[in-house]
Amino acid sequence: MLSPLIAEKYGSFFNLARQHQVIFYYVGYFSQPIIAAMAEAVKLQLEVADVAGPTRRKLFSCFVEMAQNIIHYSAVSLTPQKQDNNELRHGSVCIRRESDGSFLLLCANPVEQDVANDLRSKLEALRVMTLDEIKQAYRQTLRDEAPLGSKGAGIGLLTVARDAREPLEFDFDVVDRVGQTPVFYLKAAI
Amino acid sequence: MDNLYIAPTPSTPEVDFKFDAHTLSLRGESYPENAAAFYGGIIGQLKDYLARLDGGNIEVSIALAYFNSSSTKMLFNLIEVLNTAVEAGNQVTLHWYHDEEDDTILEFGQELSEDFPAITFSSHSVRPT
Repeated sequence: MLSPLIAEKYGSFFNLARQHQVIFYYVGYFSQPIIAAMAEAVKLQLEVADVAGPTRRKLFSCFVEMAQNIIHYSAVSLTPQKQDNNELRHGSVCIRRESDGSFLLLCANPVEQDVANDLRSKLEALRVMTLDEIKQAYRQTLRDEAPLGSKGAGIGLLTVARDAREPLEFDFDVVDRVGQTPVFYLKAAI
Repeated sequence: MDNLYIAPTPSTPEVDFKFDAHTLSLRGESYPENAAAFYGGIIGQLKDYLARLDGGNIEVSIALAYFNSSSTKMLFNLIEVLNTAVEAGNQVTLHWYHDEEDDTILEFGQELSEDFPAITFSSHSVRPT
């Protein structure tokens, strides 16, 4: 049935996404099959938008690293925290285009306080490194034993930092209750 | 020993290790959720095969259009195992395929060839389809 009220009531949400040139947005639970499906959608979207090959590869790589970080480290989980495969955890990812044609990748997910502290120190260190230093650290980490508690190889953030064209930006929202987990935000410009 | 074949999925490559023919191939994309779990068994079987081999001539092809950070780590470990096999008296030729626009995969291949000079390294640039 034709209902003009839908556009009037809810159109603003879609218009806002259009204004911000959001080319992909997802909020919800992340699993590996969901990431694989999103990866197909992102790949197609970037191909159709005629994005240059090297930029497409970097965007795709950062997207996968961010999404898999959510699977590995989000504090909101439907699967037991100790499970290390077939996990389901909550978060969001967004890819938007900037007015100059470049891209922004953003992700957000709640993290436990100790994970937050660890992320903060890793990202602060990364932010002051040059691209050569990032590549050097990447090479070194690849040859080291994987750090304890890492479900990737401890090189996910280095990969995102290597592919971004500016230092990574991050933030944590303010925790106003004891026991509440902070939300971690990460932004990569590609 | 039996050959190892694992069919590809959207996020894991086709693994075709024909131990009887001494040809090992990885093809596709690699971003499993848990790369250590995916590659652990593969590297284990590769080690079993290599342990029985003496004076063998192994052809390895790696044609991955994309691999995530944890797969990169596992590929490094896999090549390290092959390098040990060369030190034990075998020959290994590694065919490394990269998309002509993909500098990251090209550079990783170059690094591997520098780290493991005993392996005969052959880099192949592929046009995107």
